[in-house]
Amino acid sequence: MKQLFKRRLVNHLKEMMSYLRLVFNDYFVLALLFMIGGLGYYYSNALKQLHVGVWWAPLVSIGIHLVGLQLGRMATLVQDPDYVFLLPKEFEMIDYLKRGFNYSLILAWFIQILIWFVMLPFIQITTRIDSLEMVMLLLILLGLKATWLNAEFARKYRLRPNWRLGYQRLIWRFIIPLLALTIAAYFSYVAALLLVAAAVVASWVGRRSWSNRSVDWQTMINDENSRMHTVYQFFNLFTDVPAISGSVKRRRYLDTLLGRIKLIPDNTYLYLYAHGIARDNEMSGLYVRLMVIGTLLLVFIKGEALPIVLCLLFVYLIGFQMIPFYFHFDDNAFVHIYPVTHQFQLKNFQRVLLWLLSIVAIIFGIAVIAVNANNLMTILGVIIGEAVEIWAFIYLYVPRRIARGQRSRD
Amino acid sequence: MTLEVSNLVGGYSQVPVLKDVSFDVKDGELVGLIGLNGAGKSTTINHIIGLLTPFKGTIKINGTTLDQDVKQYKQQIAYIPEAPIVYKELTLKEHLEMTMLAYNLDHDQAWQRARKLLKLFRLDNKLDWFPDNFSKGMRQKVMIVCAFLTNAKLFIIDEPFLGLDPLAVNDLLNLISNRKKQGASILMSTHVLDTAQRYCDRFVLLHDGQVRTEGTIEQLRQLFPDAGDSLNDIYLTLAREGGQS
Repeated sequence: MKQLFKRRLVNHLKEMMSYLRLVFNDYFVLALLFMIGGLGYYYSNALKQLHVGVWWAPLVSIGIHLVGLQLGRMATLVQDPDYVFLLPKEFEMIDYLKRGFNYSLILAWFIQILIWFVMLPFIQITTRIDSLEMVMLLLILLGLKATWLNAEFARKYRLRPNWRLGYQRLIWRFIIPLLALTIAAYFSYVAALLLVAAAVVASWVGRRSWSNRSVDWQTMINDENSRMHTVYQFFNLFTDVPAISGSVKRRRYLDTLLGRIKLIPDNTYLYLYAHGIARDNEMSGLYVRLMVIGTLLLVFIKGEALPIVLCLLFVYLIGFQMIPFYFHFDDNAFVHIYPVTHQFQLKNFQRVLLWLLSIVAIIFGIAVIAVNANNLMTILGVIIGEAVEIWAFIYLYVPRRIARGQRSRD
Repeated sequence: MTLEVSNLVGGYSQVPVLKDVSFDVKDGELVGLIGLNGAGKSTTINHIIGLLTPFKGTIKINGTTLDQDVKQYKQQIAYIPEAPIVYKELTLKEHLEMTMLAYNLDHDQAWQRARKLLKLFRLDNKLDWFPDNFSKGMRQKVMIVCAFLTNAKLFIIDEPFLGLDPLAVNDLLNLISNRKKQGASILMSTHVLDTAQRYCDRFVLLHDGQVRTEGTIEQLRQLFPDAGDSLNDIYLTLAREGGQS
């Protein structure tokens, strides 16, 4: 069973690496560097205005750590057929799952360390914390994440009654962390650390009470599938993920808009692309999600250069998502049978892109103008920047990208 | 190997699908679980293989419940699901190896048996293929080969005939008879009533989450003298009655 987990982990990591390579392509790394730089600059500026004793500071750090603790679920790497094939091995699943737990714990701890590191300057400036206490805070976070994951682990086993399990999960995952972080922020780090240590011991002892029970395959498989779906959804922001199969929604309210397309042969692909993107949940979902996230960021973030960078980044991200859709209908026999020439395919696709990105640009523009009304340079920068970017993206970048995609497909 | 289901109440969410189901499968017996779509056949089976937790009642295999001893309980079972379910990234050969690993089978012996089974179901030249790309019938054969590779004492088979070619149906029935002779118990749910009538020792007729009646074909004929001779006739009469009541 240990071998089985190892083998699956290797495959899993290989898959993740291949996606990560696609996510961190050259352009995105550049954009990311700018964004991190911008946010870092913004953060350090904001810190300068704070001082010891700001009343809301401990609340903010408790909140951020509490949310941060919820990041990183337990990866079991189980698959749908496991409940049939591994049925007789059920009593050995504990060995397998322990490996999954350890792997998830390392990943989750890494996230905690990152959050701790980012929060350090903030806590240092707003409270009187010495270096020993900072280390204790890290230990508290690591301990809390371990008990959090252990509660997730217990869920894979069949505990009765179920309501007690749900109740216990709430305690381990939310109430104990809230308690420990509050004690740490307002009273004493030592007391909080002791509480967490007790919680860690209790959850480890508790493991004995469920680890010889029967496995709840359905919950376990559903949990893992939903976890992988989240991961794939993230990757789907950057590239085509085959595991996410598109579902379709009718969206009658878009009919008037789609009905404006003239039914002439030149518009064959325009008709297909427009209907496809509007109704394909994955495509339209991505588009709307990214647009909403981008708009929210623009509403909350002020500055001179940062809004421009954000606008350009999100327009690029959204446009980049849409490119694979060019090939969406290639597997459909109809498009090869239709008596239409393919010279219009690219033109039609570019027209759809122009529409989609222009809508994004206008909404972003409105958000920027509303928030930075008196900063003319930023507003001008956003408008000109977006216009240039959309033009360059659609008429310079997309044709090249598609030509490359076509070559790799032939 | 005996399977004993007593007073089982259960289902997927809070609403029970099964209401007080009791029956048993004795050593060397093939019991047919018969019922309309939605009668609770698959739900019963999901409870037996431990996918669902009973709300009330117990399920014992050789006197052991799942809660008493997971290892004892689960190691005895081989299960063939209604819809074949295979690993996307494993070849047919790797599926067999997975089964050998899971059931702790002796490598050489298991392969000997596997070769016979593969030949029987005409899969012997497809060892390096991916079952995920097979047709439904062929995937079903993969599930059958994997299940009969084991030395399980209790076979739980959910609607095995759909999508199988007539030759394979016949071969599967022979496999079942052989295992029965060796003392294994088999619980099989099916809609194919004339086949069930010829091969099953006893029948459990489920309707709307309850056991309407159970017994051998002789006993059923005596219970419903006006219904007709075949299981098909008896069942249709029962189902219609059930629909009206």
